[in-house]
Amino acid sequence: MLVDYLQRGVLAGVVAGLAYGLYVAFVANPLTEYVHDAGHSHGHGAGDHSHAQEGTEHVVSETTTALVSVGSGVLWAILLGGLFAVALYLFEPALPGRDGLESYVLAGAGFLTVSATPWLVVPPAAPGADHLYGIDARIGIYVGLVGLGAAVSAAAILAYGRAAPRHPALGALAAAVPIVATVVVLPAVTPTVVTQPDVASELVTAYQALAALSQAAIWVLIAGAFNRLRRRADPAVNAVDTDADSHDQLTASP
Amino acid sequence: MTATNETVHGRIETARTELTPMQVATGLLFAAAIAFALLFLQEPLAHDAMHNFRHGAGIVCH
Repeated sequence: MLVDYLQRGVLAGVVAGLAYGLYVAFVANPLTEYVHDAGHSHGHGAGDHSHAQEGTEHVVSETTTALVSVGSGVLWAILLGGLFAVALYLFEPALPGRDGLESYVLAGAGFLTVSATPWLVVPPAAPGADHLYGIDARIGIYVGLVGLGAAVSAAAILAYGRAAPRHPALGALAAAVPIVATVVVLPAVTPTVVTQPDVASELVTAYQALAALSQAAIWVLIAGAFNRLRRRADPAVNAVDTDADSHDQLTASP
Repeated sequence: MTATNETVHGRIETARTELTPMQVATGLLFAAAIAFALLFLQEPLAHDAMHNFRHGAGIVCH
């Protein structure tokens, strides 16, 4: 059963990965190269420590970077698809929503965990950023915040489960409390670790928004493709698979 | 609805009967290897090749 989930999750990851690969090829690659070159042309003196790697020539050609980046994008979505499938298998009984809505709830939790919460402290940085901490410290912060994101997602889902029986709107409100609290408190109590003196602030905003939207799109695509694959598999495995059983029950019961 | 399918605990129990610990460890290690290579590998060649992806995805880069 877990294997069925994993299979669908990886397939859904391939679907999302192809879309994200195209995004990397046609948006992220040219945009990143542009910002990289724009940052180079002026203001090179300040913050040379963080530019150490970028200020020097590329180790590999731009073509290699472009191709490997596209491939990494595809792999990234496949990895997320696999993680999504295992998490859905384990936590499906605890997730609110039915008829596939629970997949989107989990996708939202995944986005909150893997991307949104860490970004509150370590936002997506365009090339040429000045960093307060070294790479090892930032990786540590990022990983720690993934853990916090998972806790916040779990708190939101549990709060919804508590309050929703009384009124669905009350449930949504209860679920929003831990998320809003994190979004408000976390950036306020942590220092600004990334500054981008070389790049126009509008460009940085656009760059960060693109990162956020593209990551959110991966999760939505994974959840949507997963649901589609599951619906297609359901009639075929009818009553043999316990998974299909529970799904039929869910759709049948009011 | 079968009882084992109802709870998170039931799901874990089902997985435990279906999979050997070796299979679980293999899957976890494989996922960890991909995650490490994509996200944390700072070796200059790998870092530079994945540069645009890491920036575009908002992953901690360098």
